Order: sequence, then structure tokens, then C-alpha cells
Amino acid sequence: MDPSALNSPELQNLLAQEKEKAMISEMISKLTSSCWDKCITGSPGSKFSSSEANCLTNCAQRYMDMSLVIMKRLHQ
Amino acid sequence: MDSFSSPSSGSSPKFSTDDIMSQLRTQLEQAYAEEFLETVRGKCFDKCITKPGSSLSGSESSCISRCVDRYIEATGIIGKALFNQR
Repeated sequence: MDPSALNSPELQNLLAQEKEKAMISEMISKLTSSCWDKCITGSPGSKFSSSEANCLTNCAQRYMDMSLVIMKRLHQ
Repeated sequence: MDSFSSPSSGSSPKFSTDDIMSQLRTQLEQAYAEEFLETVRGKCFDKCITKPGSSLSGSESSCISRCVDRYIEATGIIGKALFNQR
């Protein structure tokens, strides 16, 4: 393989995009796992109850809120 | 791996950016699929197989089916919630 191909700005750019996508994917994966544990307490049904569905949505959004709180705290 | 070998003499074939990115995306997708599978197995085992018997009962099997469907649905809900911010 020609090593100079690795230095192209185009490739670096594409890699940066993929890295961003991978980080988002990981976040969704981890959050789904945590929020499932918090919100789906009983046996899985054939659909989510509205309280389960709301809990999942709230869970993700509260996570984002928490993230902001943490960053503000760390910048004080 | 064949695709990474290059002739030892003068002109080595240039590996295109497209090829690299294409392989990367394929491998990422495989990794995600494996990770997802592992997670779903863990969650549904915990939820549905509470008292392991000598075989999977009908109710355990249906629980597992529902569990997989719900987990996929949960993944979608979380994804949407993250990107439909207030």
C-alpha cells in the first residue's frame, strides 16, 4: 500500500466524520442500555406503555441536561 | 490479507480513499452488529429467563421475541430523543 495515501486531507476528513458518527453510535448504544434498565422494569410487552415510552424519551433528554450541568460544574 | 499486499518492485498500486473508507464502514457495521447482539442477549436473558428449566418454555420464547422487538424500538426512541432536542 502506498503510505502517502494515508496523509490525504480528504481521507483525514472522512475519517473524522466516521469518528464522529461512531461516537454518536456509541452514545446511543450506552444510553439505550442504561435507559432500558431504568424504564423497562417488568416483562417486555408487545408494545411499550406510554409511561415506558415517555420514560425512555425523558431518560435521554435528562442525560443531555445532566451533561451540561457537569460541564458547567467543571468550568467553574 | 491479499488486498494489503503490494508488489515489491517499483510501482505499488495506490489504495484509493474509497477503498479504505468502504472497508472501514463495513468493519464498523460488523462491530456495531456484534455489540448490539451481545447487548440484546444480555438484556433479554435477564428479563426472560428467570428460572432456567430443562428447555425454553413457550412463554420464555415469546418473552424473548417481544424483548428483541422492544429493545430495537427503545434504540429508535433514544436516537430520536437525542436529536429532537427542545
